[in-house]
Amino acid sequence: MDGETQTGRFTGASKYVLDEELAKIVNVSIALEMPLLLKGEPGTGKTMLGHAIAEALGMRLIVLNVKSSMKLVDTLYQYDTLTRLNDSRFGDSRRDVSNIEEYIKMGKIGQAFVSEDRVVLLIDEIDKADTDFQDDMLDILDQMEFDIIEIDKTIRAKKRPVIIITSNAKKDLSDPFLGRCNFHHIAFPDPEMMRRIVDVHFPNVAGDLLQSAVETFYRLREIRGVEKKPSTRELINWIRALRGDPDFHVKDLAKGDIPYLGVLFKKSSDYRVARNGVARFRP
Amino acid sequence: MFIPFFYSLRRAGIPVSPTSFLRLQKALAMGLVNCVDDFYTAARAILVKSERYFDLYDRVFARHFKSIEFEVPDPWEWSELIRTMLESWLRDPGGLASALGISEEELGKIPPDELIDRFLKLLEEQTAEHRGGARWIGTRGTSPFGHSGYHPGGMRIGGISRGRSAVKVAMDRRYRDYSQERPLTTSQMGEALKRLRNMVPAGPKDRVNIQETIYQTMKKGGEIEIVLDRSLRDRLKVILAIDNGGWSMDPYVEVVQTLFNYARAQFKDLKTLFFHNTIYDYLWEDPPRRDKPYPVEELARLDRETRFIIVGDASMAPYELMATDGSIHIEERSGKPSYERLRFIAENFPHSVWINPIPAQDWPYTTTIGLIREIFPMFELTLEGLEKAVAHLMADS
Repeated sequence: MDGETQTGRFTGASKYVLDEELAKIVNVSIALEMPLLLKGEPGTGKTMLGHAIAEALGMRLIVLNVKSSMKLVDTLYQYDTLTRLNDSRFGDSRRDVSNIEEYIKMGKIGQAFVSEDRVVLLIDEIDKADTDFQDDMLDILDQMEFDIIEIDKTIRAKKRPVIIITSNAKKDLSDPFLGRCNFHHIAFPDPEMMRRIVDVHFPNVAGDLLQSAVETFYRLREIRGVEKKPSTRELINWIRALRGDPDFHVKDLAKGDIPYLGVLFKKSSDYRVARNGVARFRP
Repeated sequence: MFIPFFYSLRRAGIPVSPTSFLRLQKALAMGLVNCVDDFYTAARAILVKSERYFDLYDRVFARHFKSIEFEVPDPWEWSELIRTMLESWLRDPGGLASALGISEEELGKIPPDELIDRFLKLLEEQTAEHRGGARWIGTRGTSPFGHSGYHPGGMRIGGISRGRSAVKVAMDRRYRDYSQERPLTTSQMGEALKRLRNMVPAGPKDRVNIQETIYQTMKKGGEIEIVLDRSLRDRLKVILAIDNGGWSMDPYVEVVQTLFNYARAQFKDLKTLFFHNTIYDYLWEDPPRRDKPYPVEELARLDRETRFIIVGDASMAPYELMATDGSIHIEERSGKPSYERLRFIAENFPHSVWINPIPAQDWPYTTTIGLIREIFPMFELTLEGLEKAVAHLMADS
């Protein structure tokens, strides 16, 4: 492992509006070689941040999408017994059946370890896994090595990756896990920040559309009884829909005439609640 | 050098580990922190591991590093600051007394209004002329940022940006909404209920089903076909009993219903029953409590391992709980008071809890809450309360 690696400072990326505070936290974490745990409701840009860091620092991004059924060893390596079995039976591959190593495939964490260059390892939605998985994973990320028992070999990280971990839950992670991470909670962007985010995605969006759409969006988020509030992603898709509709006029929004609610509210129960809520917007 | 800050955080109840504190020292030593703003951000990222403590962190930070700011805060900030300072200092009467220059005994005699006056006067004096050192309340002369020009580790005291200094940011209390004492809102429900999901780990498909593998392989003429199964893990059975009647539960019904709807998918078997105030001879399967009565005796036939969760404010006239004919329903005249019915349920289901939307601090004022707490472990309907309730339900299972 090479602690001396010079890595540039992260200052944002082309499609990511970065707040200053978060940039500092990212840089401190990179310098301290600590995993950074990001929490916040969906749509606050947790996953995007991993992409942005990779882009800005010119590093390869490896994404580990955590699933509830996942076992830790799968994220490290897999011993492909089935291929080996088939090779031994049919003998028509170029692999050497007696060499188990040829049947070891690296998982996402394994790939990050064996990479010659420093990479960004994004571990997405860690809260989906159970506590043992989480703690054991942090052990491995702490020691930067793991064993492949089948071939009795230890894999050590060539370059310590930049590790970003995301979680949707408010408190799901064990104390030992938290103890080994830096932590930040990304708040839902305020309207000003949101305008900047939309601006990055649609640089030529008309000012009045931007203003009204964002305003309406925040009013819609206020509707009570909605289970899944629309997030940044929905807003961006919604603006895309509005711009694509030749019959749409910005003034309609102020009048409480809101098209494409389905783009914003994807659950049918939420859609119904929103429909009723919107009725009250009309003057 | 920031040790007083560390202890302030610990005293305030933020679980800051010494390891993370050392890590912060490392960040300072590496030159990653160049001004107070940096310090505010870096220290929070390294020391504080949950947004539920962000608000508390902000308050401690503002209190602790206030002395480096010479701007006069606006009145709102003042009152907020004074309130938080007083609150924390009241836990330490000795310190407060010595800061005010009086004896502890004398302090006890001063009425609260006068206490605040004295406190304000002292603060004003210090805003007018900051003397650095021991007179500044809250730092006890241990502030690392005295005006003596102490520049530890490259920390620039003068480098505070005017517009948005860390202390200002801290005093904004941007994270007030996250703090853990607040009651649950609908928006937090989804998060809170992920805790219930922990109760039902669904196994990965990682067991080879040998019988089926042999059979399928035979069927394919020796072509090996491996059949995998999920490892068997029993999913929990849960009964939720919800108080859906009466004005006192009204404000919580929406939240509670979201909770129930969400929980539906999480369990092997979820039965939702309703009641009003307390349970007599019947629970009800229909929310209006009219058409589908469910006799309490029936519960005895269910699996003892079932988790029994009651949500209700447990507040009523004592006779409703204790009298033999406490029920408002004329047909419920078995001669058994509700109190006994609740005991019966608690005995039947060793894993049971009562979740109460009323804040725990108010529980002592209601007789029936006290009585019911003798039967069921009671938890608040807050993030923290739910967590504890789930932990209790899962204990020695």
